[in-house]
Amino acid sequence: MMRDRIIGAVALLLAAVYLYATKQIPTLEIGDPLGPKAFPVLLGIALIAAAILLFVETLKKDDAPPVKAPREDLRYLWLIGGVTVWTALYFWVFDHAGYLLSTIVYLLVLTAGFNRGKWRANILTSVLFALGSYILFVRILGVTLPKGVPPLESLSSAVDAVWAFAAKAIRGG
Amino acid sequence: MDTFGHIINGFNVALMPINLWYTFLGCFMGTIIGILPGIGPAAGIGLLIPITFGMDPTSALIMMAGIYYGAMYGGSTTSILINTPGEASSVMTALDGYQMAKNGRAGAALAVSAIASFLADTLGIVALTLLAVPLAAIALKFGPAEYFCLMLFALAAVSSLTGKSAAKGIISTVLGLMIATIGIDLQSGQPRYTMGVPELQDGVGFLIVVVGMFAIGEVFSNLEEHIKGKAEIIRLKGRLWLTREEWRRSIMPIIRGGLIGFFKGVLPGAGATIATMLSYTVEKRVSKHPEKFGTGMIEGVAGPEAANNAATCGAMVPLLTLGIPGSGATAVLMGAFIMYGIQPGPLLFEKRPDLVWGLVDSMYIGNIMLLILNLPLIGIFVRILYIPTGILLSLILAISAIGVYSINGNTLELQMALMFGIAGYLFRKIDIPLAPMVLALVLGGIMEQSFRQAMTISGADPKVFVGSAICIILLILAAVMVLLPVVLPRLRALKEGPEDLDS
Repeated sequence: MMRDRIIGAVALLLAAVYLYATKQIPTLEIGDPLGPKAFPVLLGIALIAAAILLFVETLKKDDAPPVKAPREDLRYLWLIGGVTVWTALYFWVFDHAGYLLSTIVYLLVLTAGFNRGKWRANILTSVLFALGSYILFVRILGVTLPKGVPPLESLSSAVDAVWAFAAKAIRGG
Repeated sequence: MDTFGHIINGFNVALMPINLWYTFLGCFMGTIIGILPGIGPAAGIGLLIPITFGMDPTSALIMMAGIYYGAMYGGSTTSILINTPGEASSVMTALDGYQMAKNGRAGAALAVSAIASFLADTLGIVALTLLAVPLAAIALKFGPAEYFCLMLFALAAVSSLTGKSAAKGIISTVLGLMIATIGIDLQSGQPRYTMGVPELQDGVGFLIVVVGMFAIGEVFSNLEEHIKGKAEIIRLKGRLWLTREEWRRSIMPIIRGGLIGFFKGVLPGAGATIATMLSYTVEKRVSKHPEKFGTGMIEGVAGPEAANNAATCGAMVPLLTLGIPGSGATAVLMGAFIMYGIQPGPLLFEKRPDLVWGLVDSMYIGNIMLLILNLPLIGIFVRILYIPTGILLSLILAISAIGVYSINGNTLELQMALMFGIAGYLFRKIDIPLAPMVLALVLGGIMEQSFRQAMTISGADPKVFVGSAICIILLILAAVMVLLPVVLPRLRALKEGPEDLDS
């Protein structure tokens, strides 16, 4: 199968890069006699061996039926590519915009794409999930999540204040 | 204190109110994870580790284990009701379980899978209790060379048994070992493959890889499936119980499945998925009506469900006694152990008997809780399935972000998790199994250490690895594992089907 040969070739390339990077590790006369390179060299060789084994396997399977229609695959490529870029963007602004704001916007767009037409449910889920998870993780479980930089930080601060007020009211009876 | 005393004392730990609560919480969340189609036990444990930061390690591990076996328990529900296995290990359950549901026996199918799971789990935990001490005693005699050979064997077994192609399994394993070499080398202090990125000095975080490959990658795959169309949910009808006739037909498959499952679970690589297939094949063979399998035979649900859960307990044996997980999910569990500064293995039985036996004994209790959660309350859990997939998958991505960020508060690590997510998605597409890679990543550091220790002791003479009978046997077994699929193509028939093992 063509696809498996490509995988084998990529594995060989990776092994070469890895072995080259291994050569760059400076060797000092301290530590154990083997040094930091020996084990990685074995790994590089193992990857080459596995790639060769894969080539051997493809020889037996050459009569396998061809893979499915490429046009369909292309459509999913767009889909996954879009989600990837959107997620990368989300992670990019995570620190600056703060968890709350970035998550609400991130989820609004995702649910609009994958749960089409249900505007009310999507908006409700996005906002309530972001709020709920923020309170659960930051306020109750003590996990650190970003609040955002000054002008954008006010949203997190407002939630913090409301939560503190509510907690106080409950505790005070 | 003798072993028996330790086992009894473990109940003191497991029965502490706080630990009962965490057992329950773990089983509860595990059941939900098992039911959710987009997320397996490995991703579930990885995503929930941040919740346990700051908890007592014993309680945290009790909860993590609860998530693990709870997820394996709950995986059957979606197989039966929507013909969509929550985990690879419930694929076989779907064959007859979904047909039973279509025939109006959804209640019986759910009941038999809960009862089979309970009985097999109990059997498995008893066997785990009995087997743990002698195995740990043997493992204590292992030197670095023996340990290295043992890990080699475990990796070889997982590589050749998890996927459709042994070569791809080995590629996955070696890539995992390579990722494990990134960071500062502990013995020489040299940075390796860090490319000057300070975040890489401590190595690639385990959770980044797990959340990326299993959670994000799985969501990507599921989004694709979601766009293609979705399955119809069969409403729960009828009593959640069995007729006398169904009982009679189920009991032997449960016992056979439980035994198959436990032994398959103990062996690395074989794991729950293969145990379920084996059990299904056995039931079909001994049945008087093999032609009816696939049309809603209760034996075809009882056997594999028992095998699946007994294998879950079996997989705890090598993890606890040897410190060597045999599947993707137990590898993540081991990663959780290490994050709490606890190295599972034979020494743990001497140093922390309270932790080991508290954990094992909590499984007896968790198992009872799961029976309650899965029988009378299953109707409530099934409602999770009515959450629209598009919303569910989006939320999992946001939860992944929380999980990764909470470790170091670093957004670069978020981007790394995303890259591993894309890798995980691609690996699924090209049939490279993920479990060997995660296992290799967990074992990589220890494996290199024992390799170098053995070589230091022997004065850099590689003959040390064939210096003892244990080493030679393990190396032969490892070689057999790799060559088996090539020599015995007949075994392939057994492995065809699910692409991923225990992920």
